Amino acid sequence: MIDVCDLVYEYPARRALKGVSLSVAPRTITALVGPNGAGKTTLLRCIAALFVPYSGRVTIDGLDTRASPRQIHGLLGYLPDFYGLYDGLSVRRILTYAALSHGIDRDAAPAAADKAADRVGLTDRLEVTAGELSRGLRQRLAIGQTIVHEPKVLLLDEPAAGLDPQARRDLSALLKSLKDAGMTLVVSSHILSELEDYCSEMVIVENGVVAGGQSVKVRDVERPRYMLEIAEARGDLCEFLDARAGIDVIEADEYHALIVHTRNPAARARLIRDLVAAGFEVSSFGESSKAMEDAYFRNIGGGAA
Amino acid sequence: MNPELRRNLWLELPLRRMAFMTGALVLIFFAASLSPAVWGGPGDAAVLFYYLIVVMWGSRNAALSVVGEIRMRTWDGQRLSSLSAGQMVWGKLFGSTLYNWFGGAICLIVILADTFNRQGAGDAAIALAYYPIIGVIAQSAALLASLIAAGRDKSHSRLDVFLYQMAGLFAALVAYWIWTASDPSSAFLRHRPDLLGIGWWGMRTEGHVFLLASLAAFAGWLLVGCHRMMRVELMMRNGPLIWVGFLAFVGGYIAGFDGVYLARAGVRFGNAEMRLLQAGVAFAVLGYLMVFLEPKNSVLYRWMAGQFAKGKIGSGLSALQSWTMAYFAVLMCAIALIVFRGAAGDGTGQAQIAAMLGFFTRDLALVMLIGMSARLHGDLFGVVMLAGLYLLLPMILQGVQLSGALVLFEPREIAPVWLSPAIAWSEGVLALVFAAASIKRADNRRNEE
Repeated sequence: MIDVCDLVYEYPARRALKGVSLSVAPRTITALVGPNGAGKTTLLRCIAALFVPYSGRVTIDGLDTRASPRQIHGLLGYLPDFYGLYDGLSVRRILTYAALSHGIDRDAAPAAADKAADRVGLTDRLEVTAGELSRGLRQRLAIGQTIVHEPKVLLLDEPAAGLDPQARRDLSALLKSLKDAGMTLVVSSHILSELEDYCSEMVIVENGVVAGGQSVKVRDVERPRYMLEIAEARGDLCEFLDARAGIDVIEADEYHALIVHTRNPAARARLIRDLVAAGFEVSSFGESSKAMEDAYFRNIGGGAA
Repeated sequence: MNPELRRNLWLELPLRRMAFMTGALVLIFFAASLSPAVWGGPGDAAVLFYYLIVVMWGSRNAALSVVGEIRMRTWDGQRLSSLSAGQMVWGKLFGSTLYNWFGGAICLIVILADTFNRQGAGDAAIALAYYPIIGVIAQSAALLASLIAAGRDKSHSRLDVFLYQMAGLFAALVAYWIWTASDPSSAFLRHRPDLLGIGWWGMRTEGHVFLLASLAAFAGWLLVGCHRMMRVELMMRNGPLIWVGFLAFVGGYIAGFDGVYLARAGVRFGNAEMRLLQAGVAFAVLGYLMVFLEPKNSVLYRWMAGQFAKGKIGSGLSALQSWTMAYFAVLMCAIALIVFRGAAGDGTGQAQIAAMLGFFTRDLALVMLIGMSARLHGDLFGVVMLAGLYLLLPMILQGVQLSGALVLFEPREIAPVWLSPAIAWSEGVLALVFAAASIKRADNRRNEE
């Protein structure tokens, strides 16, 4: 859906992107991570056809950002890191204006606004002005106006910044639902733990380049990562797991193993049973919650500490 | 309805604001009718408040229509919308000023009634055309100034907005002056009978008709300018044709005047040469104006150089800035004039024209160089530099009895005849080399990163 090839972007004082290449598959949520000033926002703005690259190319759904910026604008929704709302307008009017300005005709605009409000959970606040909303609700409204025209691609820059834990959880559920509805999402953030919930791919931008040269698959819905812990040390843990079909060992020592295994509950139950039968004292077995963080520190230069 | 206009309608015209404006103006007109000695009657008060509400306040709102969105961080959302540049310009120009137009409409009703009573239907009809036009001119000039600034990624402080507003007020002032001056019974035309009939391309045109037609034409170009700058904000590419068309219009317009003033100033050219010279001066003024207004972006110049180096001439030319086209227009006029002067056997005239072109080249290159090098206020430094070169240094040199050295700063008639153009072009080429070296240095630095 999104292809970035050898992208270079320059500000008059510095080169912000130094040959970025990446590819984002349709109907995925990709995390764009990296230290502050790494070039994440610049990359998002290039993808959004708001910046013209110095060299290289960005295509979205086959359209080149340099050649067809306006068509691309119609395909995507973009929520910048610092966004604004028309505080004097009601939620309904903001969403209706967003629908009309995205080319939805006058008769269909109210329905589009209602649908967007429903998706972001603001149906009960349609007549409230934006200025009266809490930060979390403003965030939802901002996302609502970016999805009102059902874009194919949604670019979100630091969407969870400043949100409380409940609002972050709601945001996570919302993004997953948008992906399920067919959108392709790219989410920039430096809070890895929140991205863990909904991202399947990760692109690490560091100093204007993609660390590792490509996106990292951090989460496979069908074959997630599991962390196994045993109470007593066994030198043959890795060997035992390696020997079994359907298991990929990522790393292992005498007490732990990080593996990729099918999500099928019966297969997982069988694995635990076999481990116990082989004398391994299994003390913990669960889906790894630090896949993204592990991948991040493995890939980022000098950041392993 | 244009969605941008609709949004502004929601924001700008709630009932309570309309009621407030109506009540306030009714009170003012009532007070004016009670004390005509102070206000001059409701008609005069209406004129005053029309200018205050529509021209003064309206140009501020127009200047804020884009800048306000940038400040509120809603501009990106608008740029990504499906609204066309035309919709955006109309929506901003009339949407952000809806409240002003509402108040202006109330004033206009009083103005028209007063004019009709005092001067008849004809003058009332003229007032009906004039007042909206001057409002549009002020507001579109302010919007254009703010769009130009937005394209340069300038900060948008209150002072900046005030400056954009001033651009609108200046345009309105010029329009007002032309309008009042164009009245055949005005003091201006009474004292300048030569302007009662303006000679333009050999035709004698009634002064006021010509001035009003000029006003309408330039107001139209203002709107075209807003549209072009809005296209840039929406990431659309502007081809060179509209700017070339504007250059041709301005060149043709200025060249059309029978060269009375230049003849009075001692220029002894033939008719065709005089027109060429006038057009060339107009192009040079536009060149200076645009080199200050357009961003001095070393990244863009390096990109263009890269495109030319790869043989992608069309791609490189697509990013050509307006001042370069004005420069080429000046160049064409200068070459034609040199040929004309050569045919007339006027070597001194040829040298003067060549020297002017050399200094013009130097000035543009220096403004570019300073604009690219200075982190802040590059244009201000450019203005200071030009003031230094053309005012300060010549004055100092004259003060210390070194008038001979003036040849370094302005075209001079000195022997040998080739010396003045040689100096001017040496400076021009040197400035160009420095500008190119600055771009090359930046390129090398980036490639090393």
